[in-house]
Amino acid sequence: MTAVPDPGIAVSVTGLVKRYGDHAALCGVDLEVRRGEKIVICGPSGSGKSTFIRCLNALERHDAGRIVVNGIELTGDEGTVQDVRQEVGMVFQHFNLFPHLTALENCMLAPRLNRGLGKAQAQALAMKHLERVHLADHAGKYPSRLSGGQQQRVAIARALCMEPRILLFDEPTSALDPEMVKEVLAVMEELAASGVTMLCVTHEMGFARRVADRCVFMDRGAIVESGEAARFFDAPASERLRGFLAQILH
Amino acid sequence: MNALPVDLALAWDSLPALLRGLQVTVLITALPLVFGLALAFPLCFARMSPRRWLALPAELFVVFFRGAPVLILLYLVYYGFGQIKALREGPLWVLFGSAFGCAILAFSLNHAAYMVEVLRGSLNAVPHGIVEASEALGISRRNVFIWVKMPLAIRYGLKAYQNEVVSFTKGTAIVSVVTITDLTAVANSIFEQTYDPFTPILCAAALYWAFVNVLRIGFDLWGRWLDRHNAVPPQEQAQQRAAVAASAGEIPVPAPRRRSGFRRPVL
Ligand SMILES: Nc1ncnc2c1ncn2[C@@H]1O[C@H](COP(=O)(O)OP(=O)(O)OP(=O)(O)O)[C@@H](O)[C@H]1O
Ligand SMILES: [Mg+2]
Repeated sequence: MTAVPDPGIAVSVTGLVKRYGDHAALCGVDLEVRRGEKIVICGPSGSGKSTFIRCLNALERHDAGRIVVNGIELTGDEGTVQDVRQEVGMVFQHFNLFPHLTALENCMLAPRLNRGLGKAQAQALAMKHLERVHLADHAGKYPSRLSGGQQQRVAIARALCMEPRILLFDEPTSALDPEMVKEVLAVMEELAASGVTMLCVTHEMGFARRVADRCVFMDRGAIVESGEAARFFDAPASERLRGFLAQILH
Repeated sequence: MNALPVDLALAWDSLPALLRGLQVTVLITALPLVFGLALAFPLCFARMSPRRWLALPAELFVVFFRGAPVLILLYLVYYGFGQIKALREGPLWVLFGSAFGCAILAFSLNHAAYMVEVLRGSLNAVPHGIVEASEALGISRRNVFIWVKMPLAIRYGLKAYQNEVVSFTKGTAIVSVVTITDLTAVANSIFEQTYDPFTPILCAAALYWAFVNVLRIGFDLWGRWLDRHNAVPPQEQAQQRAAVAASAGEIPVPAPRRRSGFRRPVL
């Protein structure tokens, strides 16, 4: 066990186990993500993708193994959990915006509460990131007045306002109508170019090929195969990945 | 002969007394609303706690004070506690010795028990995903409660709260049994003096009605203000009207509007 964490490593997971009662949702996952790396995670339903990604910011507490995020080891201690969450942004399948706040206020809340920014500062920060997701014109609208794609982009801006070094996405386009998937993926691709570390659960294979440095295939709570995108899709090594790809590509 | 069942002259003459009664009724409603709510919060947290030793007493409190009729509660506090010698000689006798104090106490306990359940229901209605999103942003549990859970819970629970407040207000009419001259007691005493069976009681009813409606209007305004995130902005309303006007001659088919947070069902 190294005392000094390697600054080039954003996320390091070893032997991760998560159980729900008798059922092991994750049974020994190892993954090391370098800083700035873009990882796409895919796999059949129930394979543990969400559970894995949610362990990284302690939305689920792991039962065994070691998780080090940005040099901070996640223990049961609440302090480490808060520290890690300041560094890690998350985007959910169902957006989960605050319905009682405008797009702008959605983005301002966390910086104001966590970083003690004043109203004007938080507003400037929020506008900067809303512009980044091309929604500056909609800053004053409530989520109920925005389309699904727009809501998801607000959710991305909201995460960016904490200026995280790592971004987690859990099927960010699965709840969207097809015509809105593109605008969200476009924003994510722009983000990827900015150098932030990304872990993204998605079945958007075009996105994976364009953006991912590495693709990871999970099945039954374990990583079965991982590799660089082109090889991953064109020459899958394992039978299970071949079967999975055949299924999603028809 | 008067065709009306109400003697207008008597009504006019009794108005000052009735208004003094209304004052008492307002006071005996408002104070328990404040104390009961203040008491309901810690009780609700205890009730929702995963720790049994906290949750169980809170649950028993709710079961007891919701189950016991307020009238009996009032008798118990007013006549029952007077029997306890230690209490009679203790400093709390300031509270238990006065009818007013006893009424406030009994009503507060009753209201608190109902509010624990209203609060709990509203807090449980806050979508879990929204709470998780706040936690993922690194917002502390306390701040999540203040800035996310409570504002949403108030919106979900407002109607239930309004119902409880209105029925509670009307329920205070029983305080006359412990010698407090609230609106009902004043109406009763006027009846006893005049033997007019309708005038005082109808006047009292009108004043209750006015009080309850002031509360209702207050709740409606509050609710509309809270619900502003679902309101259709004026320029959009104008656009919708213009679209209908433009299709003059055709039968205007109103477009389906997405109200509130349109969400796909979670599969
Ligand atoms: N809160 C929970 N309680 C009990 N079991 C759970 C819970 N969350 C997940 N599981 C189980 O853990 C396993 C992994 O679930 P997970 O949600 O991580 O899968 P997934 O790969 O994200 O699937 P999907 O593609 O459907 O989102 C599943 O078998 C699921 O039933
Ligand atoms: Mg999932």
